[in-house]
Amino acid sequence: MSLESVTKTFGPVRAVDDLTLAIPRGQTVALLGPNGAGKSTTIGVLLGLVPPDSGRVSLFGAGPEQAVRRGRVGAMPQEGGLIPRVTVRELVSFVAGTYAAPPPVDQTLELARISDLAGRRVDKLSGGQGQRVRFAMALAGGPDLVVLDEPTAALDVEARREFWQSMRGLASRGTTILFSTHYLEEADEQADRVVVVDRGRVVADGSSAEIKRVVALTTVSVTAQGEVQWLATLPGVRHLEVTGDRVHLRSGDPDATVMALAEAGAVRDLEVTPADLEDAFMALTSKETV
Amino acid sequence: MLGYIRLELIRTMRDGGYIVFGVATPVVMYLVFTNLGLAGGDKHHAAIFVMVSMAAYGALGCAFNNGSGIAEDREAGWLRQLRLTPLTSLQVVAGKVVTGVVGVVPSIVAVLLTGALVNHVTLSAGQWLSMVCLLWAGTVPFSLLGLGNGYRLTGQTAGMANIATMLTLAIVGGLWVPVDGFPTWLRRIAEWTPSNSYASLSWHVAFGQTPAVREVAVLAGWLAVFGAYALYGYRRAGRTA
Repeated sequence: MSLESVTKTFGPVRAVDDLTLAIPRGQTVALLGPNGAGKSTTIGVLLGLVPPDSGRVSLFGAGPEQAVRRGRVGAMPQEGGLIPRVTVRELVSFVAGTYAAPPPVDQTLELARISDLAGRRVDKLSGGQGQRVRFAMALAGGPDLVVLDEPTAALDVEARREFWQSMRGLASRGTTILFSTHYLEEADEQADRVVVVDRGRVVADGSSAEIKRVVALTTVSVTAQGEVQWLATLPGVRHLEVTGDRVHLRSGDPDATVMALAEAGAVRDLEVTPADLEDAFMALTSKETV
Repeated sequence: MLGYIRLELIRTMRDGGYIVFGVATPVVMYLVFTNLGLAGGDKHHAAIFVMVSMAAYGALGCAFNNGSGIAEDREAGWLRQLRLTPLTSLQVVAGKVVTGVVGVVPSIVAVLLTGALVNHVTLSAGQWLSMVCLLWAGTVPFSLLGLGNGYRLTGQTAGMANIATMLTLAIVGGLWVPVDGFPTWLRRIAEWTPSNSYASLSWHVAFGQTPAVREVAVLAGWLAVFGAYALYGYRRAGRTA
């Protein structure tokens, strides 16, 4: 699937700004970004729910509406889709029945780990259970591409863990998966590839290890008083942040930074914190750096 | 699309509001009106007249209830979920119209059966058949009006708008109290309502007369108006959903 120079504005806001993204088959891709980064709009455009102002969308060589109609796509929007007065099995069977060659419903229920809920009414489920039913609806037709918009946003830790167990089952079958999240560790743990989006643009794209390597900056913290801006000019330092009398330096070359601090006699209460994806994310999406 | 219709019908049949207001209420009202002597006049005449009124009233209720369901569906994100399945939007709208049309049948049948079994209404097989068909087909304009409201308004507002419209049409159309008892000015209005034309078709049949062309024309006119309204509502909903 691919998005090519897609732009979508809502009034004065550029929700998606000249975004280009291609995903080969079988990949699990996380669309990572803070709230309001344009993730949902991007997904809406991809699914044909939101018409883009400009740019092209191609799914399996067709436009999004056609791809959906042909049963190539299954999707789980951010919310909704759970209607009252039907059982889990009735709902999932119905969705499966709209596709030409769906897998057996029991198989889908099992994959989504809701076999034991099959006879329950959809409107009487917990948040986590409901989310897995919505997940089951996305895969019920056996689509080649599954798109999930913030699948775990409203879930507690336990429900999230269960949800990702279901997801891994799906990924192991070779289905192409695109999911959006603002949880960094989810992108880190669940995806083959992380695409970081901010203000409607792709700001980084690669495996989570690559993202960390390219931009994740080790934090070197020292205690300092008085004028501290000169610390920002030390080797490796890309960004400086002051909280009280602590100075936090984000560095691409922490060894050099520490050496320089030592030479300058500024090593007081030195603390070196290695990068995690959260740092990488901050670095990518804050205006001051990169 | 058959799967969609089946799913929607399952949901309708499990809807307590539908059963109570659409099916049980008209039957109970029919029995009360005819057996407590509220309808006045000849008892046999009343049994037939009110039977048609209440079947029409129940069918109206079901038709509007179906439209209110659309607004709830939209709010539940169901319409968007449907857009993400291989179903086309035409299939979805058609499916909902079919559900509405099928959904009025139990109400009509329940009241007519009560008439035949409890109030001993005897009509020819042809009359019964024509009445069921007229009462059934005549609900389409109301289904469309209900759908239009459902597409255009949000859940609760749509529900209330539909109930208010339904009650107004039922009362002004003379389904509760015959228009004969209305003041002249109100009777003039009543004659132009779709509900009065709708019920009049079957009143005529029930008393062995031929339905008037005027009634058919008025109902057809409203069909066109409400059809345009439903289409307008759907297009608007499509842009915002």
